[in-house]
Amino acid sequence: MSVKTLADAPGVSDPPEEPRPRSTFGALRRAPHTGLLAVLIVVVVATALRTDSFATTTNLINVLRQVSVTAVIAAGLTLLMTAGGMDFSMGSNVSVTTAVGAQLLSHGHSTAFTVIASVLLATVIGLVNGLVVTFTNVAPFVATLATATLLDGVALLVQGGLSVSIGTRMFSLGNDKVLGVPYLLIVAVLVLLATALVMRFTVFGRDAFAIGGNEHVARLSGIDVTARKLTLYAVTGALSGLAGVMLLSRLGASSPGTGGLTLQLTAVAAVVIGGTSLAGGHGTVVGTALGVLLLGVVANALNLVQVSSYFQQVSVGGVLLVAAIANELHKARSARH
Amino acid sequence: MTALSAVVRVRGVTKSFGGAAALKGVDLDLYPGEVHALMGMNGAGKSTLVQILSGAHQPDGGTIQVNGATYCGLTVRRARRLGIASVPQRRELAMGLTVAENVMLGDLPTRRGTVHWKAVDSEARKALSGLGIDIDVERTARSLTVAEQTMVEVAREVRRGGRILILDEPTACLSAEAAHQIRDLVRTLRDEGVAVVYISHYIDEVMAVADRLTVLRDGEVVRSTPAGDLDPAGLVRSMVGRDVVSRRVERPAPKDDIGLAVRGLSDGRTIRDFTVEVRKGEIVAVLGPAGDAQSHLFDLLSGRRRPDLGTVHVDGAPVPLGRVRASLASGLRCVSGDRRALGLVPELSLDENLMLADDRFARRRVHRRGALTRRAAPLRRSYGVVSLVGNPPVSALSGGNQQKVLLAKWLQTEPVACFLEDPTNGVDIAAMADIHTLVDDLASRGTAVLLASSSAEEVMRLADRVVVVSAGRAVAEHDITAITHDELVATALGGQPQ
Repeated sequence: MSVKTLADAPGVSDPPEEPRPRSTFGALRRAPHTGLLAVLIVVVVATALRTDSFATTTNLINVLRQVSVTAVIAAGLTLLMTAGGMDFSMGSNVSVTTAVGAQLLSHGHSTAFTVIASVLLATVIGLVNGLVVTFTNVAPFVATLATATLLDGVALLVQGGLSVSIGTRMFSLGNDKVLGVPYLLIVAVLVLLATALVMRFTVFGRDAFAIGGNEHVARLSGIDVTARKLTLYAVTGALSGLAGVMLLSRLGASSPGTGGLTLQLTAVAAVVIGGTSLAGGHGTVVGTALGVLLLGVVANALNLVQVSSYFQQVSVGGVLLVAAIANELHKARSARH
Repeated sequence: MTALSAVVRVRGVTKSFGGAAALKGVDLDLYPGEVHALMGMNGAGKSTLVQILSGAHQPDGGTIQVNGATYCGLTVRRARRLGIASVPQRRELAMGLTVAENVMLGDLPTRRGTVHWKAVDSEARKALSGLGIDIDVERTARSLTVAEQTMVEVAREVRRGGRILILDEPTACLSAEAAHQIRDLVRTLRDEGVAVVYISHYIDEVMAVADRLTVLRDGEVVRSTPAGDLDPAGLVRSMVGRDVVSRRVERPAPKDDIGLAVRGLSDGRTIRDFTVEVRKGEIVAVLGPAGDAQSHLFDLLSGRRRPDLGTVHVDGAPVPLGRVRASLASGLRCVSGDRRALGLVPELSLDENLMLADDRFARRRVHRRGALTRRAAPLRRSYGVVSLVGNPPVSALSGGNQQKVLLAKWLQTEPVACFLEDPTNGVDIAAMADIHTLVDDLASRGTAVLLASSSAEEVMRLADRVVVVSAGRAVAEHDITAITHDELVATALGGQPQ
């Protein structure tokens, strides 16, 4: 007989395992964002133990102020990516907005006019992206990468290669606090909250999910996909404009290289870390917010423990890779259950 | 045949997903040179069993014995090494590559480190002709028909040393002739000594091709006998657990006014001068080989594609062609036969999919889950959509339930006219009967129903009139009472007016 019986192999003689009652731990593990939250807590605790300066109010407020700009961009990107779109030009849009804003202010225009003009300009840029994507069938990735490069150049042209200071105008938006909370953070939280509400409670938000999930079905179901996409790209543009104004007010000046692809990639990284699908159809603002925080905290921690700034890029890349892998594992596990 | 020993013995295999048992101690013997049909309703456990055999899932308990060696579970790699190959329902060819490359994929013959293209073609040709398949190996996979794709996949698996071949619904969505070719191929495989596991929803086909039948129900084997021991009725009874009859019912006579009129519709070479008029309350079927004119009607009527020529009138009013929203506004509802690509959004929940169209028509702006559930509940009831837990993503439902969601999504909007494309595509017998009843009800409520189908049985069951199409043209039109099933099949196959 050539038949081998593996008597000691598990599962041969044992009765089939009873379905385990859901333990709190198991439920916790399956809950969305648990992994991300755990990583965030580990990083925070580890840094707080290593350095005294991390867990101070000043430092934490500073971190939150710094991530606010990224958060606003990432919020818009979450909505857009959920609908299956992509905008690589948001960071460059920020560059243009800060450059134009700084020039307007330094030429003596009023702050209100500058803000409105900057946001409008950014909205138009977003809308142009949308028009290209919807009416030419060029992949959003390619189209917006092209406009990103183009806008980076435009920003340099507007600056004339020089740093443009805005003096103390808009200083309070960038630096003041109300009840100890920076204005910038308040704006960012409001934007994140609004995006979350739109995605959860409005038909517009659900349309984004439907379009990202299956554009053909969305169109056949009577959703005006073209109009929706144009709106989405315009919204991401407007949010870039808002982010630009926020950045300008925080820095007090616009210099060549403000914003741009670095900012863009941080925002994309935050959205992807947060579990939003690059293919569309799935996305959460909570995840994005956690992703933004994680990246901000990691950068700050590396600064405080005085790691060479070269390692900071390495770490952001590393965090992104680990988070992306963790998301896929989580997805695979929830698909099995 | 039984003198040979089984190549695969499955013993007491159990598997559950998240507490729900999919297989409860299943035994299965596969013999070389035998076609073993695996029958069962959607959700009976066929796919799980097949996935365990091909190594995609590990069983929770039980053993699989292959060629005398016992395993507690297979990995995809090990299954392949043991000669177990499966051809899934969705064809998995590299569409941009040639047939030859696809057949030889993963094992391209090389000479001095570069691909030896002549050998690729000749080896592939040999592999195909060995199974009596006549396909030019230099064509790209994209240019193949679905049946040809299946054949190429089978040839690839056999060439790789597949001795146990699992075919998952190889004839779904195929014309009668193409299905016939596939069945011939299956017989060739059997004669070559391959153990074939054959999954199909078509009872007649299974009775014609299978040597042995195993019927699964709710994760258990209810029958496992030589095919000759069961008649179709008995087979259905053991699959469903009760008698299922989907028989023509008397509907109220159609009204006199025309609900849907299509005149002179032409689009390239796919549809030429197609004309049909459907009265309110009438069901008119368009029957043709899969991929013929009836399969292009969806794109044209739904507004996804603008035809070259032709007009469409709904309830007497002309419908602008080539615009989805205009088509919807006219009161025409088009239900795709391809629910994966054109019917449902897999990421969204069951209820959201149910209400996807209706909520847009109602111009709702706010989305609240509680309210959505309340609106969806009566629909779930009246269309018989069953889900095990609350409101899962629609992709988690069985094929039959997904199809009911798709129908409910469109039919609840009380259409004036309705175009249904293969409404029972890939659903089991019980769901099929339910869906037929739903379509009957729809017509009884006074909707003009145009039905595109490639199944003569379905046409005989539902339609009042049938238009037979072939090569893009209507070749015959009959009252259903004036034609028998066999005549209809003959017309559809021959493509000539009788």
